[in-house]
Amino acid sequence: MTASVISAESIPGTGRAAQGAIELRQVSKHYGDVVAVDELDLTVQPGEFVTLLGPSGSGKTTTMMMVAGFEEHTAGTVLIDGRPVDSLPPRDRNLGVVFQNYALFPHMSALENVEFALRMRKVPRAERRQRAEEALGRVGLGKMGGRKPRQLSGGQQQRVALARALVFNPAALLLDEPMAALDKRLREQMQEEIKTLQKSLGISVLFVTHDQDEAMAMSDRIVVMRDGKIVQSGPPEEVYNHPMTDWVASFLGDTNLIPCTIVERNGEEAVVDLGGLGLAKVRDRGASGESYAVSIRPEHLKFRTRASAGNGCAATLVSSTNLGATVRHRLTAGGHELQLRELSSDRGTRILPDEELWVGWDADKAQLLVLES
Amino acid sequence: MSNATLERTRPRGRGAPPSADAPRRRRSGWWLLLAPILAFDVVLFLTPLGKLVGASFADNAYQRVLEDPLVVRALVNTLTISLASTVVTVVLGYIIAMVLWRAGTVTRVILFAVVLLPFWTGILVKNFAWAVLLQDNGMVNAFLQGIGLTGAPIPLLHNRFAVIVGMVHCLLPYAVFPIFSSLASIDDRLGLAARSLGAREGAVFRRITLPLSMPGISAAGLLVFIISTGFFITPVVMGGPGDMMIANQIDYYARQLTDFSGAAALAVILTVMVSILVAVYQRVLKAGGQHEDN
Repeated sequence: MTASVISAESIPGTGRAAQGAIELRQVSKHYGDVVAVDELDLTVQPGEFVTLLGPSGSGKTTTMMMVAGFEEHTAGTVLIDGRPVDSLPPRDRNLGVVFQNYALFPHMSALENVEFALRMRKVPRAERRQRAEEALGRVGLGKMGGRKPRQLSGGQQQRVALARALVFNPAALLLDEPMAALDKRLREQMQEEIKTLQKSLGISVLFVTHDQDEAMAMSDRIVVMRDGKIVQSGPPEEVYNHPMTDWVASFLGDTNLIPCTIVERNGEEAVVDLGGLGLAKVRDRGASGESYAVSIRPEHLKFRTRASAGNGCAATLVSSTNLGATVRHRLTAGGHELQLRELSSDRGTRILPDEELWVGWDADKAQLLVLES
Repeated sequence: MSNATLERTRPRGRGAPPSADAPRRRRSGWWLLLAPILAFDVVLFLTPLGKLVGASFADNAYQRVLEDPLVVRALVNTLTISLASTVVTVVLGYIIAMVLWRAGTVTRVILFAVVLLPFWTGILVKNFAWAVLLQDNGMVNAFLQGIGLTGAPIPLLHNRFAVIVGMVHCLLPYAVFPIFSSLASIDDRLGLAARSLGAREGAVFRRITLPLSMPGISAAGLLVFIISTGFFITPVVMGGPGDMMIANQIDYYARQLTDFSGAAALAVILTVMVSILVAVYQRVLKAGGQHEDN
């Protein structure tokens, strides 16, 4: 399969500017005594790509289903372009939905699948066909319109599902783990293509995934969910580098969590006592809780010389593992186990287990967070 | 033995579509696995059938039975009653299957039991029960008179209506299960997708549910029709003199007239007629399916 085949042409035949703001105000979903979604506030700005990221059971899919209108929320209001849609059935919400398994109609050709929404909107036959063909062309399947879903590969099926969800110029696009069924290589390719398509159409996207790499790669903003609540939201880099809790830090990748006590807090910075590792300056986002820790991503720990300025501590190498592009070192320092990851190409002179070293980190890469678990 | 008996009856269910992507395993020796059932079929099914067909050619039997106006009447009855029963059964069966499909787990189990109950009840019991209900001083007439819909009892028994009622009751499970299984294989998300694309409930049914359950409908139709043509007790218990079906004529020839070649000829005529209809039906279905493909 060729690289990016989704071309970036604007939607033909529409004078309507892409709006597509989605807003949830205090939205809850209860199943009996079980609270699936708990007083959620969420806004997707027009043209924004927002990802609901969380483990299974975090309420992310339920949230999406409530926006689509397939699930009724127990409390709160859902607004699309500022208009409450709580009483509108899914068909009147004008949202394009791509399901996890694509949910293509197996008895219809790719073209008929794409035409479906236009048929439901009573678009005349000729125009319907033309628009469906253009939509298929936009996802690089111009010549596959006659095929049935079962005659298409997983990636092609997903493109058809995308074309089907976009052909009627929906206010926004809802994607429910659309890449879960694809293999890694294809998944990465589709991530880029969907992102490109989204940017070129300027359409708002609400994306649901449990895959943090996918969320990092595609989102303008990540909303991390746990137990029906939003635990943190922000641009991918911010959520990744400055997690508010140890749970968020661990969910978004490997991290070193060092329990600490706060010595002094002043605005963006705090001085903490890392126990055996001494005092350190760290970034502070004002999170408050009962106990605290400092999170340092493995790639932000560096081998340094003792003389260099900044935070640091003495450490002993336990083992080194070559992971291809990166090397992972396990260290002990002041009674803590630490992970340090460096690019293979940066790897200097070989260090041996039991060798005494000095590791350091930049103050703005160490994040003070609340210990939850 | 019981296994083989089950296998023997299976050709009737041929309407059930073979799964399209079942892998075909062709390995040497596969026919050995078929040997027991083949032997069973040859000895207990094909041989008697051959003898029956042979007997039907004796004594000018075909000409004789076809000149019997009662036989012609019975043949026409068999086709029209079977067709009517099939249509009613499939429509009712579809509705029941839809309810089963949409029901919660508990309701589903209860409904399944209700649908299966007639399946496990003897046909005589069922037909006599209906006869009791439908007779002139039966419950149905009493009810109709009670609410003032009619002054005198409506003749509900010993007519074609009664025959079809009795047959449909016996045939329903044969329609419900194939249709239910094809409905159950439809991914729920297809309905959600259709709704998100702007479809109303009617359109979801017409464009998604109905076409995707067609295999079940056609299997049910075929199964029910073939079984209908062999009904024998219901026309006797619930029908009038004008509702005799071909199986009753076979009985009459064999037992009253002791004309075995005539009875054999009637059996062959019924089998050939039904086979031709089934072949046409499948041809039409296939053509329909291909048309849809284009």
